[in-house]
Amino acid sequence: MLRNRWIPSIFAGAALLFIMPFIFGQAANPTKSASVPDLAGVWLIDHFQPALFPKGTSAPFTPWGEAEFKKADTKVNDPNLACLPHGIVRLMFVPLPMEVFQVPDKVLIYQEAGNQLRQIHMNRGHNKDLDPTYNGDSVGRWEGDTLVVDTIGFNDLTWLDHVGLPHTGALHVVERIHRPDHDTLVDDFTIEDPKAYTKPWTASQTYRLKPGWEIAEYVCDNNKYVYHEK
Amino acid sequence: MNTNRFMILFVLAAGLMLGSTPVRAHHSTAEFDMTTFNAVKGTVTQFEWSNPHAYIHIEAKDDKGNVVEWTAELASLGMLARINWKRDTVKPGDDITIYGNPAKNGKTLMRLDKITFANGQELSARVG
Repeated sequence: MLRNRWIPSIFAGAALLFIMPFIFGQAANPTKSASVPDLAGVWLIDHFQPALFPKGTSAPFTPWGEAEFKKADTKVNDPNLACLPHGIVRLMFVPLPMEVFQVPDKVLIYQEAGNQLRQIHMNRGHNKDLDPTYNGDSVGRWEGDTLVVDTIGFNDLTWLDHVGLPHTGALHVVERIHRPDHDTLVDDFTIEDPKAYTKPWTASQTYRLKPGWEIAEYVCDNNKYVYHEK
Repeated sequence: MNTNRFMILFVLAAGLMLGSTPVRAHHSTAEFDMTTFNAVKGTVTQFEWSNPHAYIHIEAKDDKGNVVEWTAELASLGMLARINWKRDTVKPGDDITIYGNPAKNGKTLMRLDKITFANGQELSARVG
């Protein structure tokens, strides 16, 4: 008798133990574990850096890289003139907002520029035999509070900045993205491309949180840059 | 002659537009003379509400009375909406003055900084 009276309580306790993770999982954000930093929100660069090597400084060009840079003319052969994607690195320096989403196994960056959705895969390494693309293949991992993003697999159709820093398909970009305070996001870049540069170099962009902002539609429907040449 | 359509062109101090580089559009400002600031008064002929840039076209007159077409380049629509611009903020027939940095290549094109309406109301086009 006594044993039978305890049976319902034992079942109830077991059931509670079973569902507790789900209860607390719902109370927190179900899309990410509590230990992962929250980078979500709409962000805008805090200052525009058209040139990653401003006047008076010089990139560590190889002869090929320097020759390519000399050919760059923002009025004539900027790949973005035709509204083609900026590519990583330049996309992260565009003066338009971006929204960061954290979902299972991915961090997504929705850029207003061209309404591009950049994917950072958190659950795998680089795929083999990558088809070259504008944004390459980005894989991420957490190092403490820093999201470390490694990207390879680029095509050679873009510039690294707004004034013509060249690169090849050998481009390798490592980003360290962190949120030093609630309103600030920082992306520190290390860029290497032995065909274009003699050594790796760094760049950095700071972003400010834009509460209440929404990403707008951005269809490049009027490539009237031609006004500049008319 | 309608003085509102008379083109005024003046150059302000070079330092006016210097300082921190403002957040701007999808390409660099290299095509514009950022040390020069022009004001051109004219009548709106078209307002292109489009990405990656909006454009205002006006007809102005030079000091000899010749009609001159000017084009003002604005930011993208999302950024303009955030500073309260709308697709009908300016309309054909509006008399306005456009202020901004002229193209380096001598074309009658400027990177718009602000406009003023005939009643004196001022509207910034700076998105950063």
